[in-house]
Amino acid sequence: MRNIILPGMLAPNEIEKTENVYIENNKIYSKVVGLYDDEKKTIIQLEGNWIPKIDESVVGIITSSKGNVYEVELFFFGRGLLISNKYDNIRFNVGDVISASVKDVEDYKTVILWNPKALRGGTIIQVKATKVPRIVGRSNTMVEQIAQLTACNIVVGTNGIIWLRGDAISVATEAIRKIENEAHTTGLTERIKVMLEEEMLKLNSIKQ
Amino acid sequence: MSNKANAPKLIINGKRIDGRDFNQLRPIKITAGILKNADGSALLKWGNNIVLAAVFGPQKAISKHFADPTKAIIKCRYSMAPFSSKGEHSRSGPNRRAIEISKVTKEVFENIIFVNDFPGSEINIFIEILQSDGGTRAAGITAAAVALANAGIHMKDIVYAVSVGKVGDELLLDLNMIEDNYSDCDMPMAISPRNGELLLLQMDGDIKQDEIKRAISMAQEAGKTISKIQQDSLLEIYKNVDKQIGVNGV
Repeated sequence: MRNIILPGMLAPNEIEKTENVYIENNKIYSKVVGLYDDEKKTIIQLEGNWIPKIDESVVGIITSSKGNVYEVELFFFGRGLLISNKYDNIRFNVGDVISASVKDVEDYKTVILWNPKALRGGTIIQVKATKVPRIVGRSNTMVEQIAQLTACNIVVGTNGIIWLRGDAISVATEAIRKIENEAHTTGLTERIKVMLEEEMLKLNSIKQ
Repeated sequence: MSNKANAPKLIINGKRIDGRDFNQLRPIKITAGILKNADGSALLKWGNNIVLAAVFGPQKAISKHFADPTKAIIKCRYSMAPFSSKGEHSRSGPNRRAIEISKVTKEVFENIIFVNDFPGSEINIFIEILQSDGGTRAAGITAAAVALANAGIHMKDIVYAVSVGKVGDELLLDLNMIEDNYSDCDMPMAISPRNGELLLLQMDGDIKQDEIKRAISMAQEAGKTISKIQQDSLLEIYKNVDKQIGVNGV
């Protein structure tokens, strides 16, 4: 059973994780509009901007470089920092798009990144961060399907930034927007597949 | 408050000027998530009041020197559309009244939002009164609370607000424009439904001490209805959600 829960509502007693809840007078209340997950015994937030967590992979843009410290725009209220050490042979310029993992989050707002990878060329789009799990799909099925059918390279950041490179970016973008709008419906993977196949046929006929 | 000499009769045969009972609310309807570009939004119709509230954030504080490294700052703008009312106070632009209401609304939400969860950021609340018929600050707070929940801002509770006024010896709930103009007292309140905590209490006019207590309990009683409408508006968004896949497939 999964129930929708609203701010100020009492959380179920069996809750185990303190994420998205607060305690007042020995009672546990929800902080957010969320879904109570019976298996994980936690409240999953349904709305809202990205909040960084350790080990997530993100996509960002280098906005400044001073020595070995790069500042990375991650499209949330805080800032991202990438500190490269002497063993990294990689250099970035301002404006480069990178994907990286979150090593540490300091004081909610400063995100320390590591394992950077440069994403050359291509384009980026922004989606709602809460829709990212649906775009990725269970064990990456959805994003792999889009990448395969459109022959695009796709990197999805949990901060809601998606990097795409290929000839059929427009079709891939359209599919991602469709997932974003219909995230809560069933049978989406199948519908996206049908849509992508139709759109790719159209695109190929124009080219010929 | 207007001149009492030409005041209309506000209570006729035990009923109010618009036919309501003393403790009866005007009909309320809230639609959450109505604006696509905003992080959270709500459209509220409260009698003849129509209010649109939108929330952006938490986002980077604009003018970095305003940012507080320990907590989020909240900015609120209450504004009346030029076509919202026949009265003088609907003149467009930030006038004295709008600045005051923006300030008190901001202070209500500063007490309810977990500002320490978003340090260095700002949360913008915009309240636009499209049509006004008395009690717009209460309607604005009620709509903004739904918009904030819709934006996923961490907060303790979904606040509601309502006004109680006094005409003669009677206390009236949820004053409309005419009652507001000619009543002896008007007292808007914002309350946290979780524990009945008062977050805003303003008063214009004269009222007795015991009547204040009665007024607060009247507002708390009416709050049960308002809270239910607020919650239903948020639940409406997820009406068609398949509980197995969840909202976002997580």
